[in-house]
Amino acid sequence: MQKLRWRWLTALVLATGMVAVTACGDDDDKSSGSSTTAPARTFEAGTTMKKLQDAGTITIGVKFEVPPFGQKNPASGKVEGFDVDLGQAIADELGVKAKFVEALSDNRIPFLKDGTTDVILSTMTITAERDQEIDFSDPYFVAEGRILTKKSDDSIKGIDDLAGKKVCTALGSTYEATLKKQAPKATVRPVDGYSDCLELIQNGSVDAEATDDVILTGQIIQDDSLQLVGDKLTTEPYGAGIKEGDTEFLAFVNEVFATFKSDGRWAKSYEKWVGQYTGEDRDPPEMSLKEALDLST
Amino acid sequence: MTYLFRPDNWEWLITGRNARFIFEGFLVNLQLALIAMVFSLIFGLGLALLRISPWGPVRFATGLWIDLWRNLPLILVILYFAIAMPESWRDAYQTAAPGFLPDVLQRGRVFAALLALVLYNSAVLAEIMRAGIQSLDRGQGEAATALGLTYVQRMRLVILPQGLRRMVPATISQLITLNKDTTLVSIIGIQEVMRQGRILTGNNFFGGVQAPLLHVLLFIGALFIVTNLLLSRLSRRLEIAEQLRTGTTLEPISGLEDQVRPVQAR
Amino acid sequence: MSALFDVLTEHLDEFGGGLWVTLRLVMGAFVIAIVVGTVVAALRIAPSVWLRRLGGIYVESFRNIPLLVLLTMAYAGLRRAGVPIGQWTAGIGALGLYTAAYVAEVLRSGVFAVSKGQIEASLSLGFSYAQTLRRIVLPQAFRTVIPPLGSITIAMIKNSAIIGVSLIALNDILKSARIVQAETFKTEEAFLWAAVGYLLITVTATIAFRFLERRYVISR
Repeated sequence: MQKLRWRWLTALVLATGMVAVTACGDDDDKSSGSSTTAPARTFEAGTTMKKLQDAGTITIGVKFEVPPFGQKNPASGKVEGFDVDLGQAIADELGVKAKFVEALSDNRIPFLKDGTTDVILSTMTITAERDQEIDFSDPYFVAEGRILTKKSDDSIKGIDDLAGKKVCTALGSTYEATLKKQAPKATVRPVDGYSDCLELIQNGSVDAEATDDVILTGQIIQDDSLQLVGDKLTTEPYGAGIKEGDTEFLAFVNEVFATFKSDGRWAKSYEKWVGQYTGEDRDPPEMSLKEALDLST
Repeated sequence: MTYLFRPDNWEWLITGRNARFIFEGFLVNLQLALIAMVFSLIFGLGLALLRISPWGPVRFATGLWIDLWRNLPLILVILYFAIAMPESWRDAYQTAAPGFLPDVLQRGRVFAALLALVLYNSAVLAEIMRAGIQSLDRGQGEAATALGLTYVQRMRLVILPQGLRRMVPATISQLITLNKDTTLVSIIGIQEVMRQGRILTGNNFFGGVQAPLLHVLLFIGALFIVTNLLLSRLSRRLEIAEQLRTGTTLEPISGLEDQVRPVQAR
Repeated sequence: MSALFDVLTEHLDEFGGGLWVTLRLVMGAFVIAIVVGTVVAALRIAPSVWLRRLGGIYVESFRNIPLLVLLTMAYAGLRRAGVPIGQWTAGIGALGLYTAAYVAEVLRSGVFAVSKGQIEASLSLGFSYAQTLRRIVLPQAFRTVIPPLGSITIAMIKNSAIIGVSLIALNDILKSARIVQAETFKTEEAFLWAAVGYLLITVTATIAFRFLERRYVISR
């Protein structure tokens, strides 16, 4: 019997081992992308930039399930998208490796405050309320709040038709409040992420989804039986989130973004992730942080 | 039924890197479970010993602690720690996490998940172990005392080996529950098998075969069922070996694993 | 301290609604768990090997699969497959079927606790298998299993919190607390009240089962 026991133990170990082998068959490619041997700028001791250079990595919170801004690609195992391009630009400027972690709508501010991430680039709208908790960069993208429905559903033409309908949005996003204000009679179903909303609208659990147009565009790219309806509900300037009070790092990030916008990288990235699908051209936003903040009040 | 078995719907599994993508996620679950198991067993034993300590106030305080953690829904504890854990704790974890762990498990938020899993499971395991120890015939302890053994000797040589051995089946059942519960960490954004699976099912953005959700979940479910069956097989073998060696029959533990009741001595 | 109560009083609608949702989920799932669990337990002790095997497959599958996987399958998985299942049906059904596996195991061991002699006596008195099960075995089995059934129910109440975080996304206690948390950033308060909500239900269930235990439990 002693022998039998070992046989089972061995079987268990073998099974675990097999899983391990299958999973680690070849080399794991880390989530960082392009060259990290960029011109190593030097920074004063004590600044966040210097600390990041010493550590050799910058941890950036992005969405993992929100194409075209941040989406994990099963084929490569890497996360890709517009936000990722921007994060990579920051990392390149510092000459460090970019480490992308997933930031969800309801945990991204805590993650930033507690140092889990150094920067948040996760389709985060600049609001006065959030500005009290963290600092925002200048807007790097201006999205519009829109409503997504199924093409087959013609009962919803705009926000006024949402009364009595089920509307999905992400827990902790600005749309919870927007819907409460603009469509008080709608049933809001807050979920943990927009990929959940996509699943729910596809399977008919909800009638509509309210969030930023670019996120919705990403979903239409995945499923062309969906459409945008109605006028824009809100203007949603996206800003990078930085820990409250770190003015030097904020200035650095703004500088990186300004170059990114002016040297054509912004347009290239936009074309790659949004333009080629929508056919729209867009210029880099010129909105200032103050204008963005005023929008929300 | 035809939907389930149509080969088209299983094509995703042999396409590209998809199967590996799922296994990568599952490995994170297994590793998370393994780490949580080790710490839960250690802390569980400590709590069990405190729970039967000769000092009343210690017993009372430990009892409160155990009841607190095992009566809260685990997912509530996980979500709470994920949002509210102080920065310094995460930092400490990130610094302390050994380099051989995969990237996913070295991140600060994993600590929130681990802490919740260990707090919950160590409380449950402590109750299981306490039940096992207290199910022993009182005479055992008394005889050991009569032989002049100290408290520590009594525990180490007489009580624990017998008491804990009795609870092997219940302990393994709880470890199975722990293994299943690792899927809950997907909610706080740790890239494990559930998340990997969901990504596969919404994969049209990058092109490629879209995986049907039900099939991906069936596959993930099957992975868990197989692993857990292996674990419970192990438990049954241990049980039989035990019976043959000591000639005692183990009281079958009924009920959901995490709410074990004391074994009644006959 | 008063801030703690403010969070509750200002969001009484959310918390109250959440409590009611969780209660309905738990009650529905309990009924399914008992009914299906009894049927599966009967399969597990049936005279036919094939029926026993069927019961075994049920128990091993539902007991070893993570509840979150099961819930996602039952709702989003089925809906994608074209089955228009509702939130409540999926949530109550999956939680009930999951718990039923545990109920079946408890009932089975309860049956084994009834002495073989009694069953043999009953069969030799000319009772059929079904009659023996219904008249002799199950009434006794049910009594011995009240305490473990209580434990299963408590665990089921705790497990119901997973429904709200799954794709089913019903606004149960935990989900309501998270909505309040996202709105007010009062994390400690919101989660504390959620914990109190679950404790309210589990403590009530514990008291109910203690009562049943005292009334019906037979000691052997």
